[in-house]
Amino acid sequence: MCYFLVMKIAIAQFSPVLGNLKKNLTHHLELVKKAREQRADLLVFPELSLTGYTLKDLIPEMAISLKCSDIFSALVEASTNIDLVVGFVEEKRDNPGIFYNSAAYLARGKVLHVHRKVFLPTSGMFEEGKFFAAGKDFRSFSSGWTKTGLLICRDFLHYCSSYCLFADGAGLIITISAAPGRGVSDQESQGFETSRMWELMGEAISFFSSAFVVYCNRVGVEDGATFAGGSFIYSPFGKLVTRLPYLDEAFLVQEIDLEEIRRARKSWPFRRDDRPEVIWQSLEKIIRKNNED
Amino acid sequence: MKINPELVTRVLTKFISEETRKAGFERVILGLSGGLDSSVCACLAVKALGREKVLALIMPYRDLDLEGQEHARKMADLLGINYRKIDISPQIDAYFSAFPTDNQLLRGNKMARERMSILYDFSAREKALILGTSNKTELLIGYGTIHGDMACGINPMGDLYKTQVRELARYLKVPEEITSKKPTAGLWPGQTDEEEIGLPYEELDSILYKLVDLRQSPEEIISSGFEKTKVKRILELIKKSEFKRRMPPIAKISSRTVGHDFLYPYDWDK
Repeated sequence: MCYFLVMKIAIAQFSPVLGNLKKNLTHHLELVKKAREQRADLLVFPELSLTGYTLKDLIPEMAISLKCSDIFSALVEASTNIDLVVGFVEEKRDNPGIFYNSAAYLARGKVLHVHRKVFLPTSGMFEEGKFFAAGKDFRSFSSGWTKTGLLICRDFLHYCSSYCLFADGAGLIITISAAPGRGVSDQESQGFETSRMWELMGEAISFFSSAFVVYCNRVGVEDGATFAGGSFIYSPFGKLVTRLPYLDEAFLVQEIDLEEIRRARKSWPFRRDDRPEVIWQSLEKIIRKNNED
Repeated sequence: MKINPELVTRVLTKFISEETRKAGFERVILGLSGGLDSSVCACLAVKALGREKVLALIMPYRDLDLEGQEHARKMADLLGINYRKIDISPQIDAYFSAFPTDNQLLRGNKMARERMSILYDFSAREKALILGTSNKTELLIGYGTIHGDMACGINPMGDLYKTQVRELARYLKVPEEITSKKPTAGLWPGQTDEEEIGLPYEELDSILYKLVDLRQSPEEIISSGFEKTKVKRILELIKKSEFKRRMPPIAKISSRTVGHDFLYPYDWDK
């Protein structure tokens, strides 16, 4: 067992061009270069980083199939010497016309994992369910560093999503986000009130999963909505490792010691004592009962 | 309902600079009345883009609001922005001599639309995007002229209640004589918004805030101590003015219709 395993994580808190894949790809590749110069092992982009967020009827035009997109191939190729997490609109070749809000983990020139957003916010200012199909699972995967899970924005606010990744052994939970800010009454904060709920979840999930939580949120203004920024990393002890500025574009490379996962789990055996089969049986009973007439 | 004025300033200056650029403009233009909203909007525009990128039009009708004219000039000088005074009296008088009326509301609406027409003309001449100055209170109760003062390219003020605009004005150091005077739409000499609407902005904003932001029911608001007639009146104003907040309904006959299911973002490819 290695006792000091440092991983350098870069977070690109930026503002994509809405509905322009080529311009966004160019910007992604520039940031990959920058991250590599700073010897980052992983670079995380925000939700829908290749397309921008408020797409509406542009979604079909922005859709990418993993297997036959030049744009995506360029990113996969760029992942030869650095791991990447990117956000994009996905359309599977064998299931045309169905669009997902997806995140991919690319490493060593390969697609290691794709997560399709499960919880599509569709109320108030949000209308994702009108345009996207919902993903169907939460799975961890082996990135070569540690067991890792991907979530997209609202997924993270449903704590069961993180629980699934935890139950599946994730030591690193990465959430990519395009969260617009709301609420400006807090006199002390430099950011929107809604930034607090992400931090609250980040702190709780990291501590109770004994896992690193990386949250990359975008910035910029689209159709009047201002994305809040405030990306962060929490340690497996629930401590804030770093937080990027609210509202402003930022790029940061942060070292984390993956051995912290082991240390946290020695102190707090939440993972050892987890009983997913009991949760599963309980859920099954609840679901069955609630579906009875 | 208190705001963090520093944060609001940061958000709104970002909004103005980004959305102006995305709309394809480098400069902005706004009508400066000498009132609270347009003064605050001018301050935000200067913070966002720099004073040389902001153009103000002062568009008085005769001596209807001499104090407003004076305050507008003072504000423009204070900010060091270019301004032009354009007297709208000749065209307004010409119109009403052909179609006379004593109805002050008709006259006021006509003036608001005349100012809009001049702003759009100067927007094209000066290649400057029009900043709207309608606040959340006005938008919610429909206290504005459709296609008049409500018309604009972008609106930085529309999610701030009047009392919040005043809070922001104090933070932005708008002169006290502007922040503390009685707001007026300048419809007739001595007219004040509060007299016309029938209740003070503080009370109006408190009720709107509970209704809209806190999603309380009218019954809850009344039982928390607000007068039933006032709450009902505000609800009625909101209901009656929805047409001012939306594009007009388009009759749907095809499978894909503008406004119904042909839906693209403003900031497409920006």
